[in-house]
Amino acid sequence: MSAVAVSSQAPPARPAVIPVNGARKAPPQLAAEGIAKSFGSLVVLEDVSLTLPPGSFHALLGENGAGKSTLVKCIMGYQPADAGRILIDGAPVKIESTRAAQAHGIGMVYQHFTLVPNMTVAENLVMARADVPLVIDWNKERESLRAFMAGMPFQIDPSRVVRSLAAGERQKLEILKQLYLGNRILILDEPTSVLTPSEADEVLGMLRGMAHARAISILMITHKFREVTSFADEVTVLRRGRVAGQGLVKDLTTAEMASMMVGGEVPRASASRADRDAGEVRLSLEGVRAVDDRGIGVLDGISLEVRAGEIVGIAGVSGNGQDELLEVIAGQRELTGGEMRVNGARYLATREETRAARMRCLPEEPLRNACVPTMSVSENIGFRGYDRPPFTLWGWLVRRDALRRHAAECVSAFKIKTPSVDTAMARLSGGNVQRSVLARELQGEPRVLVVANPCFGLDFAAVAFIRTRLLEARNSGVAVLLISADLDEIFALADRILVISGGRMVYETPIASAEVATIGKHMAGHG
Amino acid sequence: MTDPALDVTGIGVWGVPLAVASGAVRIGTPFLFVSLGECLTEKSGRVNLGLEGTLVMGAMSAYAVSYYSGSAWLGVLVAGLVGAVLGSLHGWLCSLPRVNDVAIGIALISFGTGLAFFLGKPFIQPSAQKLPAIDLGFWSSSPEVRSALQINALFVVGLILAPAIAFLLARTRWGLVLRTVGESSDAARSMGYRVNTVRAIATTCGGFLAGVAGSFLSLFYPGSWNERLSSGQGLMAVALVIFAQWNPVRCLWAALLFGASSALGPALQSVGVSSGYQLFNAVPYVLTLGIMVATSSASRRLPGQPAELTVAR
Amino acid sequence: MNRAAAEAVIIRVVALIASMALFGAFVALAGADPLDVFYQMYRGSFGTSFSVQNTLLRAAPLMLTALCTAIPARLGLMVIGGEGAMVMGGLAAITCGLACSAMSPWIVTVAMALAGFAVGGCWIGLSGALRAYRGVNETISSLLFNYIAIALLSYFVEGPMRDPTSLNKPSTRAIPAADMLQSIPGLEVHWGLVFGLVACVVAHVLMMRSVFGFGAAIAGGNLRAGMLCGLPVRRMMIIAAVLGGGAAGLAGMAEVAAVHGRANGSLVTGYGYTGILVAFMAQHEPLAIIPVALLFGGIGASNGLLQRVDHLPDATVAVLQGILFVVILASETLYGRFAIFRPREERAVRSAVAGAAPEAT
Repeated sequence: MSAVAVSSQAPPARPAVIPVNGARKAPPQLAAEGIAKSFGSLVVLEDVSLTLPPGSFHALLGENGAGKSTLVKCIMGYQPADAGRILIDGAPVKIESTRAAQAHGIGMVYQHFTLVPNMTVAENLVMARADVPLVIDWNKERESLRAFMAGMPFQIDPSRVVRSLAAGERQKLEILKQLYLGNRILILDEPTSVLTPSEADEVLGMLRGMAHARAISILMITHKFREVTSFADEVTVLRRGRVAGQGLVKDLTTAEMASMMVGGEVPRASASRADRDAGEVRLSLEGVRAVDDRGIGVLDGISLEVRAGEIVGIAGVSGNGQDELLEVIAGQRELTGGEMRVNGARYLATREETRAARMRCLPEEPLRNACVPTMSVSENIGFRGYDRPPFTLWGWLVRRDALRRHAAECVSAFKIKTPSVDTAMARLSGGNVQRSVLARELQGEPRVLVVANPCFGLDFAAVAFIRTRLLEARNSGVAVLLISADLDEIFALADRILVISGGRMVYETPIASAEVATIGKHMAGHG
Repeated sequence: MTDPALDVTGIGVWGVPLAVASGAVRIGTPFLFVSLGECLTEKSGRVNLGLEGTLVMGAMSAYAVSYYSGSAWLGVLVAGLVGAVLGSLHGWLCSLPRVNDVAIGIALISFGTGLAFFLGKPFIQPSAQKLPAIDLGFWSSSPEVRSALQINALFVVGLILAPAIAFLLARTRWGLVLRTVGESSDAARSMGYRVNTVRAIATTCGGFLAGVAGSFLSLFYPGSWNERLSSGQGLMAVALVIFAQWNPVRCLWAALLFGASSALGPALQSVGVSSGYQLFNAVPYVLTLGIMVATSSASRRLPGQPAELTVAR
Repeated sequence: MNRAAAEAVIIRVVALIASMALFGAFVALAGADPLDVFYQMYRGSFGTSFSVQNTLLRAAPLMLTALCTAIPARLGLMVIGGEGAMVMGGLAAITCGLACSAMSPWIVTVAMALAGFAVGGCWIGLSGALRAYRGVNETISSLLFNYIAIALLSYFVEGPMRDPTSLNKPSTRAIPAADMLQSIPGLEVHWGLVFGLVACVVAHVLMMRSVFGFGAAIAGGNLRAGMLCGLPVRRMMIIAAVLGGGAAGLAGMAEVAAVHGRANGSLVTGYGYTGILVAFMAQHEPLAIIPVALLFGGIGASNGLLQRVDHLPDATVAVLQGILFVVILASETLYGRFAIFRPREERAVRSAVAGAAPEAT
C-alpha cells in the first residue's frame, strides 16, 4: 500500500536496548547550516546555523514567532528549508519526511502529545515503527517491549491504555517511544509544560545523564531559563528568525539570554501589587463537584473564596481538574454537587446573573473556548453586550455599526493587531485573540475576573501587557481568580496561592510564606 | 403486505418466533453488510451517511448485471464495485478542505438514488437470476418450516466476514493504521500517514460492502428491482454501528436484532393481527431511535467511539 | 456588493454552470440532445405564463421546507427532517380542518395553519430536544422521524381517518371546497406562496438581525463560547428546531388545504428532501432561499416536458438534483482559494500563515 507507507528508504534494523552507560558508539553529530525559510513575503528564518555535538544538551530559546518551531520542522522533515543544509557527521543529507528523519535517527517529542489516548502503550509504540509487521502477535510484542523497558530508567506497563496515564507518564512515554525507535538525536518541544517541578527535574536530569553518557544528543525548545541553566550545555537564542546569540550556558547569565531574546530591555509588567487589604468575598465555591466528559468524577468537593482586591492563584499540574473548574465557573459544565455564590447570591452562570454580578471569564485557548472563529473581531468583542443598548435598536435588533465602533475603540485601547474590525477572529494571532477577549471581558468594570493560563504561548510584550492589566484590575478592587500551570506567573501575580491536585484543594498559603518546593510537592500529590 | 416467505399460518402460534428468527437472518443480511462497511469507515474517523444511495445503486446494478449475464454472483461483485466507486467519491469529496462530511453524505443519497432510478427503469419488469439459498430445513415435512429455514449464501459470507474484520482491526498493520487515523489524526500525521488517503480507502471498502448489501435486496429478498426497494437500511446502519459500539462482531448481533424487528410486523400479520400493521413498519425506526436515545448522552463520549468521529456527540 | 458576498454568488453560479454541464453530458449519454433538454427546461419553468405559475406553485413549499434545515443550521444543527414535518403538519391540518368545518372559512384556514405549524414544530422540536438534552445526533433522529411520519400517515389514512368512498387511493375525507386555501388574486397560485415569502423574510430578520439570531450565531459557531456568555443554548436549539419544523408543517398544511383538500399518500412529495438542497445552496440564508426555491421549482416544473418531449424518465430531475447537490457542496472548497476575493491587507498575512499553520502535512 504505497499510498500509506511514506518512506522510500530502508527502515532501520530493530532497535536494541540502549544501555545508559554508553556501550554503543556515540550518536552522530547534527549540524544545521544557513537555514532559511520564508512563506510568501514573510521571512521566518534567515541564516540560522547550529551544531549539536554527540552527547550534548542544547537549548533553543526564543519568543513566540522567533522561528524555533520552523527550524525544528525543517530539521525533522516536515517542511523543506528554502536554503541551507543539514549535516549528519559532517555529510549533507536530505530530509524530506519524518520517516527520513527517523531513518537518520532524529526524533521529536512534541508539546501536544502524539500518543493515541484510546490505544494501549504497546499499540502506540508498535505503530510508530517504520517496520510494523503485517500481522501482529501482540503477546510477542508486549514481551519484547517489557525487555526493552527493563534497560530504561523508567518503565510503563505496555498493556495500559494511554488514556489512563498521567501527564508525566505520557511525557515519559513519548521519550521512551523515541528511544524505542532507535532515535539518538532527540528534539524536545517544551517537554516540561505539563510536569510538576520535581517531575520536570527528574525527566530532564535523566535525559542529561543519557546525553552525558553519549547515548543521545538533545535539542530542547524551552522558554524556562531555569531549565536552561540547570540542564543544558549550550544555548542558541533566536530572535525574529535570526540567531541572536549562541554559546555555552555556563558563560551566559539569564538576563543576557533574556535580552538576546528580546533585543533589548525585556518588557515588564508596569503595575505591581499595591498594598491593600482584601475586601468582601465576591466569589465562593463550596463543596463543588463535577464529572468529566467520560462521567468520571473530576472535581471532588472544591471550596474556595476570592475577595475583592486580591488575586488568588491556583497552581497545579494540568489534568488535575483546573480545566473543569474553570468550565464550571464559566457555565460550560454543570455542577453535580455543592454550590457557587457570587456576591453572596447563588450563581448558575446564566446571562442575567453574569451581567448582574459583573462576572467575567478568560478561559485558556481563547479561540477554542471563548470566541467564534468565523465571526468578526467586532462581533466577538460584542458577545457580552450585544443585547443591551446602545447596541440594540428597539430592544430586539442588533446594531452592527455600534458594535463596530465599540470594537474600534477596543482595538486601539488594547493594541490589538488586526487588519480591520471585520476580520474573522481565526485570522488573528494568539496574542491578539487574547487581547481581544481581554478587551471584551474587562469592559464595564467587572467585579469578578476568572482567568486561566492567560499568557500561554505569548510573546514577552503581550505577557507584560496582560499581567499589567490583571494587576491594575486587582488594585482597583476586582476579585481575580487565576488558574495557571506556570508557577512563575502565579508567584508574580498572586496574593494567595492554592494548590489543586486530584480535583481537590490540597494546600493554601499567602504569597509571603510561599515556597516553590512545598508547592511543587503538593502539586505532585505528596504533601 | 402478506409475504409468502414469512407466512407461517400453517403451524399456528409457533409460527411467529420462527418467522421472526428466519426474518432476522433474511432481513438482517443487508443490515449486516452495510453496518460492517460503515463500521470500517467510522473506525477511520469519518461518517458516510450516503450509504443509502450506495445501497440502491448496488441493488440496481446487481440486478442489471445478473439479468444480462445470467450470473447472480457476478451481479454481487459488480454491485460491490459500484459501491466502491461511490465510496471513493465520498472519500475524495470529503478530503477537500471546507467540505462538510455530513452534507456530502446526504447529497450522495440524492445522487445515488436518482442515478439508480434513472438507469434502472428498464429493469423494473424483467426477472433476473437470483442468489441461491441453502436449505437448512430439509428435515421438515412442513413447507413453512422449510421455507423459514432457508439461509441465503450471503449471510454465510457475512458470518465469516464479521470476525475477519475484527481480526483485521486488532491484529494487522492495516487495522492499526486505520484505528490510529480514527483515534488521533494528529498522531497519525506525525507518523507520516496520510489521513485523508486512509479514510478514503476505508470509505471505499465501506462502499463496496454497502453495494453488496444492495445486491442482496434485489437478488434475494425482496428479490426484484423497483423504486421502493430500500427502506432506509443505509441510514439505520449508522445507528446500528453506534449500538454495536463499533465492534464488528456486535454488528452481527445488532443486524440480526434489526432484522427481527422488521420481520415482526409481517409475522404478526400472517397470524391474524391485521389492524395497525402500518405501524409495525415503524418498528425498526423506533427501535433505532430508542437505542440512540438510550446510548447517547449530552456530554459523554460513547463507549468504543473513535475519537475523531463527530457524528455521535 | 462587498467581496464576501461577491465571492458567495460567483462561486454558486460557477457551481450551477458546472452542474448543468455535467447534467448535459449525462443526458447526452442517455440519448437525448442536451441543448433541447435545456430549452425544454426553460420552457417548462419560465417560458410561458402557465409554466411560471407551475414554478411558483412548486417553489412555495420549497421555501418553507428549506427553512426547516436553514433555521436550525444557524445553531449548528443539521436537520433533514423536513419531509416528516411536512407530512405531520399536513395530517394535523386536515384533522383540524375536518373538525372545524362548521366554522367560517377564515377561522378554518387559520386553525389549520396553526395546527400544521404546531405539530410540524413539535415534530422537529423533539429532534432538537433529543439533541440538546441527550446528545442524540439530530441528522439521524430527524431522518428516522421522517420514516416514522410516513408510517403514521399510512396508518391514519388507511385506518381510522379513512374516507370510505376512497377506494383506489386511500384518503381522508376532504374539507369543503370553500374552506380550501384560495388562489392569490390575479394568479393561479395559492396563498401558500405568500406563506413562504413571508416566512423567509421573517426568518431572515429573526436569524440574521435580531438579538436572538445573534445569540444563535454565537451558540452555533462555538457552543462553548455560547455557554460562556450565559446563553441558554439548549433552549435556543429547541426553539430553532420548532421554528424550522413549523415552517415545514405549514408547507404540509398548504399541500392539504390548497392542492388536494385531503390527506393521502400524495402528501409524501419529496419537497422535504429538495428543501435540504435549497437550504444548502442558499447557504442557510433565508432571503437567498427565495431565488433558489424558484430555481428548483422551475426544475421540478419542467419535469413533465422533459418526459413528454425528450422521452427522459421522471428520475431525470432527481439525477439533476443529485448532481447539483454534490457539486454545490464540493464548491465550498473554492472559498478562500482565490486571492481576488480577499481584502488586500489579508493576502500577505494569509500566505504566511498558510505556510506555517499545519503542524505536519
